Amino acid sequence: MTVWTPTDDGFADLSSHDTFMNGSPHNTFARLRRDDPISWTGWDGGEGFWNIVRHADITELNRNWQVMSSARGIRMEDQTYEEYLARRTFQETDPPEHMKTRMKVGKAFSRPVVADFEDQIRALCQPILDEALEMGTFDATKIIARKLPMMMLGQILGTPEEDLPWLVEKGDALIANTDPDFTDHVLDKMQTDEYRMMPFNSPAGAELFDYAKELLAKKNAAGDTSGVLHYILQPDKDGNVMPENEFRNFFCLLVAAGNDTTRYSIAAGLQAMCHQPELLGQMQEGGDVWATAPDEIIRWATPALYFRRTARCDHEIHGKTIREGDKVLYWWASANRDETMFENPNRVDLMRSPNRHMSFGQGGPHVCLGMHLARLEVRVLFEELVKRVKLIEPAGPHKFLRSNFVGGIKELPVTLQAK
Amino acid sequence: MKVTWVLPGGEDVVADVAAGLNLMEAAQNNNVAGIQGECGGSLSCATCHVHVAEDWRDKAGEKGEFEEAMLEMADGDVSDASRLSCQIVMSDDLDGIRLTVPT
Repeated sequence: MTVWTPTDDGFADLSSHDTFMNGSPHNTFARLRRDDPISWTGWDGGEGFWNIVRHADITELNRNWQVMSSARGIRMEDQTYEEYLARRTFQETDPPEHMKTRMKVGKAFSRPVVADFEDQIRALCQPILDEALEMGTFDATKIIARKLPMMMLGQILGTPEEDLPWLVEKGDALIANTDPDFTDHVLDKMQTDEYRMMPFNSPAGAELFDYAKELLAKKNAAGDTSGVLHYILQPDKDGNVMPENEFRNFFCLLVAAGNDTTRYSIAAGLQAMCHQPELLGQMQEGGDVWATAPDEIIRWATPALYFRRTARCDHEIHGKTIREGDKVLYWWASANRDETMFENPNRVDLMRSPNRHMSFGQGGPHVCLGMHLARLEVRVLFEELVKRVKLIEPAGPHKFLRSNFVGGIKELPVTLQAK
Repeated sequence: MKVTWVLPGGEDVVADVAAGLNLMEAAQNNNVAGIQGECGGSLSCATCHVHVAEDWRDKAGEKGEFEEAMLEMADGDVSDASRLSCQIVMSDDLDGIRLTVPT
């Protein structure tokens, strides 16, 4: 039984969020990889864009940040220069500026620092699994996948526990800002430009903006130095402190990115277990599988479907000319199913090695800051899950998020049987 | 030209590496365990940390400012021998260089 079969006709509109309500249009990506590797999508929501779909092409362009800039926006939507200035985080910068921020925030998310969280994550998993096993049949995105990243994020940020559900709700509204289940302000249907200077062009961004400021004031007043926020606000060796505007945008980015991507990786892993029953046994056998399984689950999930770059000068590729100023989308979702890179790309192979997936944007300066934490959370959650269950099976059809930017299963009915 | 990686278990990986390739890419091409190089050599990840054998350090060159900062985030024992291998580009002078993948 295959895990999930794409239903698109091979010519899906990649600019449409509705397209992705049935999951990524993998028939379209497969056709583009084969016949039209550098394709143009016209769009009535703004300027059109180029689609880069082959693993090798994304690899080549992603390292070439001198030509493909992040500093004009990272989603397909157009931004004015003033919007860009107001909303940007280090995602929207290029080296060497990008590296300066990276140096400041990177250590808090480095592998040695993150490794210390393993016991905490393991402990956080237990009440989540207790509840799930007691329920037996439930929505696994809501009951399992959504909770662990949220709780972990709170510990990392140093936010009070009671604020966590609110933060997650706002984080959902930010990133999934094109799905009416998560926000009242659906980005592509909005009639107002009131929030265009706010992070993610969203009212939730405005609220998180204020929250970050208050949280910081409270923590400063109490002399509370827990969490990465404190760490990030320390002056660098030249005495420079991150400006307030940048800090607030960075905070929003942490809330949004820290939540969503790991959640949808966990959800995709659970969905794969439902449809490839052999995975449970392989995980229960343990050992070497845990060195490779997290990356394969994250490849399978590809929660960030694409990131955009903007050409800084004309660039030729496969006989096409990308013009200066053109938007260029790196479709990680397609690269991760590239048959020239991955054997049986549409199957989950927990022992896949090497696994040069691009879910974290590997191969360029913007490689995911939280990747070590994401892998750790995914590994520990599945390690703990398989210790306690003897069966996992689907309990109904699953539903995908309405977004061409975040790929995720927002509803995943499953049945678990305890050992 | 030859490059040798000494793995944490003591085993050697020896490979021919062309001039101009950086030693992170060379490690990836040869599936050297423990060298990930997740940022493709753009000094954003510190996952290609190696120790350069003493005799080779001068030839391998000086660490840059960003490299120094990123090394603080690296796995394994960070010492005077530490380099990010993406910042070392293969050349005639480096034929025979020995690198250790730190534990």
